[in-house]
Amino acid sequence: MATLSVATPLKCRDSIFSTRFAGGRAPLTPSPKTPRYVQAIPQDAGVQTESIHHSNANLMARFSRSVSKTNVRDSPKSNIAARPSPRRTDLGISDFALTGTGPRPSSATSAKNTPSRPRVGRAGSVHRTPKRTQSKVNYTAADRFIPNRTASEAISTSGAAAKLDGEQTPGRRPKSSASSDGSAFDIGRHSSSNDATSTFSFEGLSLSDRNEDDDEDAPKTKTSPNTMAYQQSIAEACGVSIKQRILAFKPAAPESSRPIDLRSQYNRPLKPAAASASQFRRRVLTAPERVLDAPGLVDDYYLNLLDWSSGNQVAIGLERNVYVWSAESGTVSSLLECPADTYISSVKWSGDGAYVAAGLGTGEVQIWDVEDGTKLRSMYGHDTRVSVMGWNKHILSTGARSGLVYNHDVRIANHKVAELVSHTSEVCGLEWRADGAQLATGGNDNLVSIWDARQLNAPKFQKTNHKAAIKALAWCPWQSNLLATGGGSHDRNIHFWNTTSGARVNSIDTGSQVTSLRWSLAYKELVSSSGFPDNSLSIWSYPTLVKNIEIPAHESRVLHSALSPCGQMLATAAADESLKFWKVFEKKAGTANLAGVSGSASTKGLTKATTIR
Amino acid sequence: MPPPSSSDKSKTHKLALKGSSKTVVEFFDYACNTILFMRGVYPPEDFTTVKKYGLNMMTSCDDQVKAYIKKIMSQLSRWMQKAKISKLVIVVTSKETGEHVERWQFDVNVFQESSKQTRPPLSSENENSAPSQAPTDTTKTEEETQREIQALFRQVTGSVTMLPMLDGNCTFNVLVYADADSEVPLEWGDSDAKEIKNAENVKLRSFSTNSHRIDTVVSYRLAD
Repeated sequence: MATLSVATPLKCRDSIFSTRFAGGRAPLTPSPKTPRYVQAIPQDAGVQTESIHHSNANLMARFSRSVSKTNVRDSPKSNIAARPSPRRTDLGISDFALTGTGPRPSSATSAKNTPSRPRVGRAGSVHRTPKRTQSKVNYTAADRFIPNRTASEAISTSGAAAKLDGEQTPGRRPKSSASSDGSAFDIGRHSSSNDATSTFSFEGLSLSDRNEDDDEDAPKTKTSPNTMAYQQSIAEACGVSIKQRILAFKPAAPESSRPIDLRSQYNRPLKPAAASASQFRRRVLTAPERVLDAPGLVDDYYLNLLDWSSGNQVAIGLERNVYVWSAESGTVSSLLECPADTYISSVKWSGDGAYVAAGLGTGEVQIWDVEDGTKLRSMYGHDTRVSVMGWNKHILSTGARSGLVYNHDVRIANHKVAELVSHTSEVCGLEWRADGAQLATGGNDNLVSIWDARQLNAPKFQKTNHKAAIKALAWCPWQSNLLATGGGSHDRNIHFWNTTSGARVNSIDTGSQVTSLRWSLAYKELVSSSGFPDNSLSIWSYPTLVKNIEIPAHESRVLHSALSPCGQMLATAAADESLKFWKVFEKKAGTANLAGVSGSASTKGLTKATTIR
Repeated sequence: MPPPSSSDKSKTHKLALKGSSKTVVEFFDYACNTILFMRGVYPPEDFTTVKKYGLNMMTSCDDQVKAYIKKIMSQLSRWMQKAKISKLVIVVTSKETGEHVERWQFDVNVFQESSKQTRPPLSSENENSAPSQAPTDTTKTEEETQREIQALFRQVTGSVTMLPMLDGNCTFNVLVYADADSEVPLEWGDSDAKEIKNAENVKLRSFSTNSHRIDTVVSYRLAD
């Protein structure tokens, strides 16, 4: 086609059409339709080729014409009838082929008619060899054929071997070599029809034959709007459209609930995991590792009767006794028994794991050396039960039912070093920050007080957001100024505080009484134990606050919890008088804690944590 | 074919058409779901797996989507039983640009002849039955059809690899090429073909029942 384009853009176009017609026509439509083509063609090709049109408007003729032109182009001298070109010698050969005697095996598409073959063969040959001598040959062949109608028809039919629509290069056509165009006629036409989407869509329904016709019509209309053919085509198009309608289901498709990332979809697992489970990749054992009886455990929310030492021993207060269970050996020993007129109201290990402080219902605080099994001292001062205690090195803070919190320096005789006045009702939660710089206390007056260790005459912050007593207090091991507090039955919330600014940074409504909170040392998670109605353990991710899992833990409310020094195990004591051990923060091999367990180890742990992050 | 049996023929033909229509509409239903899932028109969480055609087919479990498709399919089956439809097209359209990005076209061809050929052995006399060797060739067992559909779905699923990435923010339309004289419910209205500009067409497998042949073509936008 390049040749055509060279001549004039118009020409090129026309020629294309004509060629297309010829090509497309040939394969698709049976002979009776050929006349139509003829009509259309003259208009198209008329500009370019003069005489040929007059002769019986045979597609073949035209076709050859256009081809010849292209050939001519090859040799600039010859315009239309390129025969006298110097390359003629080749013509002889080609003539042979054209006459039909020459079988061209290369043309696979045209099986039936010999005349068609030459054409195909020609096209193929052209493709192969840059020299187009053959094209001239075609000329001669074409000329011969012109008078012979049947031959042309045959050609057209032969072309019918369906060339695929797949090849779509309408735009390219002008560039491709003319000869190739010849061969590609069919293809080109199809593609063009496709381009004219409207026609395609209209006609698509009808059978293939009809389709072809329509396609042909479409190009015609384009080429010569004024002609009869045009009108016919319109009529036909109308007819088709009348016969067929494209109907759309009008209601808009429902919106998708959220944006979709196909990439994730292609990679999706075969079994879609539950949404919650998919976020929670960590496996948590939901069965207790161990269950111990805790007979006589006082069912009192305000007491704190369970603690786990850094030396891996668990102390539990059962009525009037304090028992120590060694997690290493599994042995239990009774550490102390208090007088019959009172009971154990709180138990707390010192930071080094050597001593146990035991608060009594009378307000007395006893300190015991666990290894020796001897009482080191008793500290008096409270006149109501000591329901919560906390160690900060040698300082023991004790909270009492009166609402008072005392700090005792256990090393000195005059032990009471500070009196923290803030709560007006029983203090049931008390927790020192790991570095000892801040103290948080919670009370039955629904108040959370945050104290600066250097300034104990008044709390740094008082938080009144909770609507019930606050027993559960926990400092975040990896972010030292983050405090979690959990409220009682009427509150059910866990609030998170920035203890530097005093701002509440997050909240969770747990749906049940929060009886204790423990942060994981290895994961960015915390576990809460709950009382009525769930009696369960819940593990929450922070800061996403997604509940990763809820473990139904006990038959009645979980009163106390304690985390093992390694941070993997949680001990829970419940009103059902059982002590259960849960491996809620099982460590993967090779991971380090986010922060150290105790104050002494914390610096080391924190440096590790920072490197991890 | 003996002329007297023509009424029988038409009857059996109708029955065959009905059964075949059911198969075809069911196929459309699954195809629609598969395309919606595969091309991310709806999030994968909205889909559940169903065993069908010996494959795990994804079908939407979103109530709205299910109702939407069901409405389309029920009308479709009405049309199919009257052989009023020649194409079903599912067009995926970008929500942002409104451009049609993908077009799944199912061409429906109804065989008149083959169904006739299948009839004679049942209804005609001996003499007629002799020449009717055709049925053995043309009748298709349910299993064969199912196998063909399975192969088609495998191909459709596999075609994801060649289809261009969609950005995921797409919606879809269902078009039907129906005869002009077909009854059109209110929800359906005339439309353009929603062709894709600069499209690449890929023909997929076909399947056929005794009365229908379904050809599948997917066209998609070529990368710029």
